Amino acid sequence: MQDRKTDVLVIGAGPAGSMTAKWAAKGGADVLLIEKRQEIGSPVRCGEGMSKDWLPEVGITPGRWINLEVEGARIFSPSEKVFEINEKHAGNEVGYVVERDGFDKQLAIDAANEGVEVKLKCAALGLLKDHGRVVGAKVKEFGETYEVHAPVTVGADGFESQVGRWAGIPTNIAMRDMDTCLQYRMANVDCDVRYCDFYLGKVAPGGYVWVFPKAEGLANVGIGVQVSQVKSPADARTHLDRWIDHHPGYAKGKKIDMVGGGVSISPPLKQTVADGILLVGDAARMIDPLTGGGIANGCIAGKICGQVAAEAVQAGDPSKEFFQKYEKGWRARLEEKLYRNWLAKEKLVSLSDETFDKVIDALAGVQLQKLSVHNILKAVRDKYPEVTKEFEAFL
Amino acid sequence: MPNKKSLHIESSGQLCIYCGACVGICPLNCIYLDETRITFDEKVCTRCEVCVKACPVGAIEIG
Repeated sequence: MQDRKTDVLVIGAGPAGSMTAKWAAKGGADVLLIEKRQEIGSPVRCGEGMSKDWLPEVGITPGRWINLEVEGARIFSPSEKVFEINEKHAGNEVGYVVERDGFDKQLAIDAANEGVEVKLKCAALGLLKDHGRVVGAKVKEFGETYEVHAPVTVGADGFESQVGRWAGIPTNIAMRDMDTCLQYRMANVDCDVRYCDFYLGKVAPGGYVWVFPKAEGLANVGIGVQVSQVKSPADARTHLDRWIDHHPGYAKGKKIDMVGGGVSISPPLKQTVADGILLVGDAARMIDPLTGGGIANGCIAGKICGQVAAEAVQAGDPSKEFFQKYEKGWRARLEEKLYRNWLAKEKLVSLSDETFDKVIDALAGVQLQKLSVHNILKAVRDKYPEVTKEFEAFL
Repeated sequence: MPNKKSLHIESSGQLCIYCGACVGICPLNCIYLDETRITFDEKVCTRCEVCVKACPVGAIEIG
């Protein structure tokens, strides 16, 4: 097949990639979006919970990909004391429960409607470089290999990103900065469609067990375990199966689907651009390290990424200096929270079950006007002053 | 490579769920996922065993 040219090449048609492609096209660029699989959004590797307040900002209209809308989150301590949080305060995995494959397809459709060319079964094999600058990628589409020459290339290739590594951008993550995840779709369970549920403590070392309802009796039941706390192979599965066995409302359920995957829970990367290349979404480690949610951040950064990509094409300057506009833009919008939540995660993974019980118990007893670190600590201090000491260093 | 431990990924479909967790964490980028096939570059792999821990279902064995 003949080599080809485009202004912007986006590698990976997940939410961040499609969003980048759409906004680059809106900015007037000629955009090619490539996806290695034959079907966008499939297989789903996601808990399918997401917040909703950010959707207008990036131009996503709610559609048929929404399963249901929850009222809030319930956080369960190890002895199953419960703290309820309204969805507005509950972090970026609570609001809608969605059909991720439908969501991803909608974003690809939105991109296509802006004039983006989409190629399926088209994998990047490596980057093209000219004097150290990335100038496109070698791709394989339906078994045929060819080169795509592009002044701007975007790596939106997810958690197992190759593009960043090929570009020489340090994206390696340590074992403590990754959760290994497993999830079952379960039918015939006693889930509550009003809530996304989170179970903390030793049930999921360094992570949590989640129950996100898809419909009455149907839920995604999953687990994330911090890799550095894995004691023996298959710990994620062992812990999840144990949790299900101990919860009769779920033990009676039937598994109808199983997915796994890695989630980064790292502090933000120091660098997400280089000459000719930008990274976005999970590939840029933009997942919220506290909640493990990556969709909102990927889409928000994707919009900025697409806009800057188009501007760079227009200016004829796809240099890393020009791309600082993206680097600064996404950091201004997301970095402080990412860093703050990473610190909170670092603290949380060190807490004992006993402390978790006290914190959740203290919170369960009060009506918080607003969910803030200050308000949480005040509630904890009023009931368990000795526990507050654990958090002094953190503050 | 006589001094290296043998590396075995159970990828016949009995354990591996092709999730890519091992690919993402491999510090040497020597694991490849292609739809329903996972391969290792045995020459590059140092048997650090990070992938063994990262696998949610215990499909990778080194020993």
